[in-house]
Amino acid sequence: MNALEIKNLVKKYPATKLTGEKIAVDNVSFTVKKGEFFGFLGPNGAGKTTTINAITGIGTFPEGEIKVFGYDVVKDYREARKKIGLSPQEFNVDMFVPPKDTLYYVGGFFGMSKKERIKRADEVLKELGFGREADLPFRALSGGFKRRVMLARAMMHDPEILILDEPTSGVDVELRHDLWRILQELNKKGKTIFLTTHYLEEAEKLCDRIGIIFNGKLVTLDSKRELIKDGKSIEEHYLSMVTDGKNGIK
Amino acid sequence: MNLIGIQAFIERETERMFRLGTQVLFSPWISALLYILIFGRIVGARIGEISGVPYIDFVVPGLLMMNISQAAFGHASSALYFNRFLGNITEIITAPLSYFEIMIGFLASSLVRVLVIGGGVYAIALFFTTASIEHFWLFLFYIFSISIVFALAGLIVGLWAEHFEHLAIPGTFIIIPLTFLGGLFNSIHMLPAKLQIFAKLNPFFYFIDGLRYSMIGVSESNRLIGVLLLLFLILLLGSIVWVLFKNGYKLRN
Repeated sequence: MNALEIKNLVKKYPATKLTGEKIAVDNVSFTVKKGEFFGFLGPNGAGKTTTINAITGIGTFPEGEIKVFGYDVVKDYREARKKIGLSPQEFNVDMFVPPKDTLYYVGGFFGMSKKERIKRADEVLKELGFGREADLPFRALSGGFKRRVMLARAMMHDPEILILDEPTSGVDVELRHDLWRILQELNKKGKTIFLTTHYLEEAEKLCDRIGIIFNGKLVTLDSKRELIKDGKSIEEHYLSMVTDGKNGIK
Repeated sequence: MNLIGIQAFIERETERMFRLGTQVLFSPWISALLYILIFGRIVGARIGEISGVPYIDFVVPGLLMMNISQAAFGHASSALYFNRFLGNITEIITAPLSYFEIMIGFLASSLVRVLVIGGGVYAIALFFTTASIEHFWLFLFYIFSISIVFALAGLIVGLWAEHFEHLAIPGTFIIIPLTFLGGLFNSIHMLPAKLQIFAKLNPFFYFIDGLRYSMIGVSESNRLIGVLLLLFLILLLGSIVWVLFKNGYKLRN
């Protein structure tokens, strides 16, 4: 079964005074299988976050179709959204609220009863290594714990697919490895993971399959094994795709 | 309908209101206390009766209307803008909540603030006068419909605003002036004949007068116009908010 199906996705940003019309995502199609660890790579502005926004409902899209576990994200948005847990790039939470409360409210938005929410928030926070930090306002947390709050919020309603937009950006090496371990454990438990990252060794270590988006077009879509069988690393493949041979690697 | 989701949303916004208690609750209560004490009690004692009732009784409904309109507007606009500013609006728009449910959440949490602030102002008034409610159901109609109108207007401003400063503009330049010119402290008959025409074009006059009638039984307007105006504004502003939410105006990319 496909966890995610994207068909002919197009997203354009209208012209402004400073720029012309920008095609952020240009006729992109791909699928992610249930239980897969999928890496979605590309340079800044390539269309990764725009694609994620279209999947999660943060952004609209004029053309194309997106299904999450068979549910259309526009027509069956309630069912589709129940399946998705999103950890965005930015720290977009109420900075005055402790993680425990943030999770409690978000669980409510997903229809969880009060009892369920309290139990689940404790479980998730414990799993991600929170102690007294669970009761501190978000603004008082370290960068590492802030990043964990993003992941905890995504996990709160126990979604089938976790969409993680650069979840390890700006965290130290130790925490990055810790997050890798957590993500691998979640994947082993059957969660589908859709990951964007700029750390190519991260994609190489974690992902089963990799898609590379460049200038809004999907330029590579293959399993990690296929990509590296020619002896080149993911990084070398990536550079050859996104620099169009200008770096001499292609 | 995602009732648990709406309830969680109201809970979250109410918690935010109590977190800002000094600014959100005590400030309007202290202002209302001062208005009632100075204008109602001290100045009112020299004015005597107005439209056949003690001046303080004439003023209290207007003060109540001013506070509930400001509370509803302030809550809806700041809650929506704050969510947009912090980016945690995504918690709502990526959740299984419809546009209508999101609207209901904002409106219901605004009503909670209205009831807390309005209840406080009413309790303060009870220390100085009987603050009677002669037509209870009509009183509830005015409280709820006025709150909904201002909360809907607040949502439009909460979407439009690009800075915190923008949130204050409608209050300073529209709500307060129109409330004061809408007969908060005076009978329309005290105005010169030409100004009475302008007063009758001010929708706030009908809101204050309607609420005043429901409380003390004194009215200077055609109340049917007021009721129809409130219903029309709910429909109009509700439609605008629904369309803006549906199109994701400043909510979705």
